[in-house]
Amino acid sequence: MSTNQRFDPEVMRTGARHLQAFATANPDVTLAVLTSGDGFEVASYPPNLPMTARIAAMSSSMQALSEALTREAGLVENRNLIIETGSGTVMILGLATTPRLSLAIVAKSGELLGKLLWASRNLGTKLEGSLPK
Amino acid sequence: MSATQELKIVFTGPMGAGKTTAITSVSDIAPISTEMRNHDQESFAKEATTVALDLGHIGLEDGTVVRLYGTPGQDRFSFMWEIIGRGSMGVILLIDGSSVNALPDLRTYAAAFARIAPEQPFIVGVGRTRADDDVELLDACAQALASLQLSAPIFSVDVRKREDVLLLIDTLLASLELRELDQV
Repeated sequence: MSTNQRFDPEVMRTGARHLQAFATANPDVTLAVLTSGDGFEVASYPPNLPMTARIAAMSSSMQALSEALTREAGLVENRNLIIETGSGTVMILGLATTPRLSLAIVAKSGELLGKLLWASRNLGTKLEGSLPK
Repeated sequence: MSATQELKIVFTGPMGAGKTTAITSVSDIAPISTEMRNHDQESFAKEATTVALDLGHIGLEDGTVVRLYGTPGQDRFSFMWEIIGRGSMGVILLIDGSSVNALPDLRTYAAAFARIAPEQPFIVGVGRTRADDDVELLDACAQALASLQLSAPIFSVDVRKREDVLLLIDTLLASLELRELDQV
């Protein structure tokens, strides 16, 4: 089954448009992937990279694990997962959409963490507001 | 096997083989689950699918704690197979006996986990078998393993039944005990 058959084309187009605008406004962002809860790529920036399908699967696993850990720790409303590395940052944000989507953002180390988090949350809010329910 | 130790057992197999159900059937606690809505109805028509892991546990009478890890079934989550397989004491491979891909699936997962956990015993549980072809299917499974130079106990199971899942776990634990005795 191709991705095109799996998801509403309008969701894919809207997602791709928002990711493109986000990456243009935040030049240290190297990769952004909108992912279904079960690990399929819905949209990505840049589009059509071979690695994005794998990033999509990994980010959905990590999002699910972070939600499981949140539950086990007795916390609520899992928001985002941040991985800081020596050369950049990976951020995974769950979106309040139906069906569930998450967003994986990869940025070079030049991007300030706080700015990246703020911009990523704004992107998440825009996606939540504009994707067809 | 010494008392108060912890053992890690991995349940693996393709999507829809019953890994989450098996762990839920026997776990002493409500398992940690990472199920999400399944968008791949073509591969297997079910509502939800595991995307990271399942985790349950059983406490044995001698104080041993058996941690039960379930892998996601789909290839795209194979990175989780490697992570979950690390440090496991044995693998229970579940196969959907009603699937036309039962034997290819068996070969795929047996080969993968023979590489990931090469020293560890594994057991095969074949679900959704029919009484009329049960023996034939289990024989075919044994031959499929033999073609990979592997062998393992193979059982026809209903993973919704606690006793069936316990049979798989008990057999795996017995294999581990035999191995310990051989090493003495």
